[in-house]
Amino acid sequence: MRGRLVLRKLGWALVTLVVVATFNFMLFRVLPGDPAKAGLRDPRLNQEAVEAARIRFGLDKPVFVNLEGGSPFDSQFFRYIGSLAEGDLGTSYAFNNRAVSDLLGRALVNTIWLVLPAQILAIVLGVVMGLVAAWKRGTAIDVGSLLFALFMWALPTFFLAILLLFFGGRWLGLPTGGRVTLGATYESGWEQAVDILRHLLLPTIGFALVLIGEYLLVMRSSVMEVFGEDYIQTAKAKGLSTIQIIRKHAFRNAMLPIVTLIALNLGFTVSGAIQVETVFSWPGLGKLTVDAVSQRDYPVLQGTFLLLAVAVIVANLIAELVYLRLDPRVTEV
Amino acid sequence: MTVWRKLLRHRLGAVGLAMLAVAVLVAIFAAVIAPYDPYENVRVSIDDIYQSPSPQHLLGTDDAGKDVFSGLVYGARVSLLVGFAGAFISLIVGGVIGLVAGFKGGRLGNGLMRFTDFFLVIPELALQIVIVAIIGQSLRNIILVIGLLGWTTSARLVRAQTLSVRARKFVERARAVGASDLYILRRHIFPQVVPLMLANAVLTISLAILAESTLAFIGLGDPTVISWGQMLNFAFTRGAVSAGAWWALVAPGLAIVWVVLGVTLLGNALEDLLNPRRGRHFLEPEPAMPAEETVGPAAERGAPAVLAVQDLAVEFVVAGARMRAVDGTTFSVRKGEALGLVGESGSGKTTAMLAALRLLPPGGEVVGGSVLLGGQNVFALTADELRDVRWTRMAMVFQGAMNALNPVRTVEDQIVEAISLHDPDLSKSAAQERAAHLLEVMGIDADRGSEYPHQFSGGMRQRAMIALALACDPDVIVADEPTTALDVMIQAQILELLKKLQRELGMALVLITHDLGVVAESCDRVVVMYGGIVAEQGTVEEVYSDPQHPYTKLLMEAFPDMEDPDRPLVSIPGLPPRLDRLPPGCRFAPRCPAAFDRCQVERPPSYVLSPGREASCFLLESRQVVGV
Repeated sequence: MRGRLVLRKLGWALVTLVVVATFNFMLFRVLPGDPAKAGLRDPRLNQEAVEAARIRFGLDKPVFVNLEGGSPFDSQFFRYIGSLAEGDLGTSYAFNNRAVSDLLGRALVNTIWLVLPAQILAIVLGVVMGLVAAWKRGTAIDVGSLLFALFMWALPTFFLAILLLFFGGRWLGLPTGGRVTLGATYESGWEQAVDILRHLLLPTIGFALVLIGEYLLVMRSSVMEVFGEDYIQTAKAKGLSTIQIIRKHAFRNAMLPIVTLIALNLGFTVSGAIQVETVFSWPGLGKLTVDAVSQRDYPVLQGTFLLLAVAVIVANLIAELVYLRLDPRVTEV
Repeated sequence: MTVWRKLLRHRLGAVGLAMLAVAVLVAIFAAVIAPYDPYENVRVSIDDIYQSPSPQHLLGTDDAGKDVFSGLVYGARVSLLVGFAGAFISLIVGGVIGLVAGFKGGRLGNGLMRFTDFFLVIPELALQIVIVAIIGQSLRNIILVIGLLGWTTSARLVRAQTLSVRARKFVERARAVGASDLYILRRHIFPQVVPLMLANAVLTISLAILAESTLAFIGLGDPTVISWGQMLNFAFTRGAVSAGAWWALVAPGLAIVWVVLGVTLLGNALEDLLNPRRGRHFLEPEPAMPAEETVGPAAERGAPAVLAVQDLAVEFVVAGARMRAVDGTTFSVRKGEALGLVGESGSGKTTAMLAALRLLPPGGEVVGGSVLLGGQNVFALTADELRDVRWTRMAMVFQGAMNALNPVRTVEDQIVEAISLHDPDLSKSAAQERAAHLLEVMGIDADRGSEYPHQFSGGMRQRAMIALALACDPDVIVADEPTTALDVMIQAQILELLKKLQRELGMALVLITHDLGVVAESCDRVVVMYGGIVAEQGTVEEVYSDPQHPYTKLLMEAFPDMEDPDRPLVSIPGLPPRLDRLPPGCRFAPRCPAAFDRCQVERPPSYVLSPGREASCFLLESRQVVGV
């Protein structure tokens, strides 16, 4: 029964993937402005050159289904899907005509370097603080945590990043932009690693701080809910100590909403990455998005958008499978 | 407007409301408050740029030599406009979709929810950036994009609310008499759903404000208006960091924090007030125990009592008021004896037994007396000693076995846990064997121990709970209403099992129930409780055939007699006493047909009529046996 559930989840993720790809295709065609023209805004281009570009990008073909003779699949849409399947995301207008997939690959690695440590830090700290706050309900610790979480939630990510950049750079002398010190030469691999880590420090702290608030709030209310459950009373009556009860009976049950939140929060994570990377000039997907917007580089924008959506879908799927493992009660979608 | 008044009393909520009010006033009176007009074109010299704060420029000047404070004041307009307008659109769209999905259900509802799910996986900011970049960065476009992309949470919430309201009786009734959809929506669904949406509406506003400032910071704000995000963008991209002009960065950022924090505190308070959480918390620290260590006569009388409750008094603190739930209760159970603890709800029977294992819910406090378990005063134990005593001396089958087992751990695992906890030297496999044996004893196939509680039927879960209670071979098992919520056949089965076990294992059993029939069938002795005191106790035979206390007499008349089925059943007039308004004299006096003057002012003590037979009524004063 649960095997079928996993299959259904996989199927649903696939369907979403196809819908997102279609949506992505449509978005850049339905919205005003001929993509090729918008990309080739150079006034010196004459009609012929534009036409040549249109043919090169396949924009002379019908949009969805080719009804004008030839294969019905010889259309912009199926060409797009076909090249997607081959991993071809087109060529950038702005970044020296490089392949979009190549640009995305590099940016993705950098983003993971930033997002993963920040997420882990935020989840661990948020969960622990939320647990303690709920346990010490009504005390100064609890009220303090609550206010901290609400304040962090109200703090715009980019503003926090700017504060860290301004004061962290000034007072602690930490690097405030980029992934490595420009023009630096390294004696050893270790030295290079230290340089990268120093560059990572401020963005990671900023990112983690932004994420922490929501984890704390959700964990706090989740733990409070669980502490009131009958089985906690049973565990207490059995003679378990408070620590044992939390470890063996409360923690796992209270973590269920956190797993859902991690998945739901990925959109928020992407939004955070865009802001943090912009402030710290971190060459990841977020910065790539913003740069592509300012250059009106549609192929890159389309590719980034698709990649971000795919990342969220995959992460969502993983979270759902984890949830299935954690909660034996789930037997239907 | 009670919510309004409650909100003002909610400290954080009032602060949030005040913060928001300040922002709204500033936005409205911007022209009066701002010392300079930031929209006015003035010639600037290089010296005007990034001036530090001074009396002329309270918050210094920005990259164009303009007054930062004036920019902040005017920026409030854009933030609040986008916040409120964007949230309004989100709520309308989300509200309609959620309402339709919840109210119509079926294919349409499912389809709409799938659509919503799909939007959840799209990274919102990335989509906002792409769309605003393509359609152009005017204020109208920004509001539309933020509003139209921010509806998913509202849709989910409204749908959930609508679904729950729709299933209620009055809606079904309205539908049955042929009311139209529109009528039901207007008269029944709206008034229920709208107030619950208030907290969500406030949250949506804060999200819209954050979204606007983020877009503006990224460079996608409306270039013709001044907004806080844009001020930050200009300062950040035009050298404020290298110029050390912290004011140009910090001031607009803090303005955003001010508004969003105000809105968030308000939303948080509304959430608290509209959807209050339940107050139970089983892990709260225990209040101090009464210091006295009395070994009462109950322990010395006759065969050794495995459980002796002596003058136990328990109070609850509810909203500052103290209420006596158990007031000087004394009874005991001997080895191999089955004791029925009967009384109406609120008579203190469960509270007394929870106090005996120091498991009182928050607010409950033992204020006097003692409980001896195997001769040890439970209230004098240290935390470590207490944990050792729990489940080995006395185990409990709690009321409502539905939730008494942890849903994410297997049944066997939860039994093994108790065994291993109190017998750490026992090997894991031996503990598992014992758990399997206990399940078998309770008539559950040992293989099913690896299943989770939700896979068991109600009766099976109750039997699993009893198996759990047997885990450490306790001296006393307390079963609290073990048969309520089960069907009659299963009830009989469970009682039969309990009786058999108690006889075979020689344990003492305390059966908490309001069902006199259950007591008659399964118990040797009975303690009748009323309003926190013991009205009468004795053997089942004595009490049932010859009740002494007027309350017991009435109880027996309300209970069908097998030997005299034609006897009319009489119900007791009046209601059990409320704990916050206990009568000063005898607890039962207001309902007692035999009450006289003394009963109204003085509390009757418990008179011993014969060994083990007591009743608390002035009518029995002359019949008490002295010197037992």
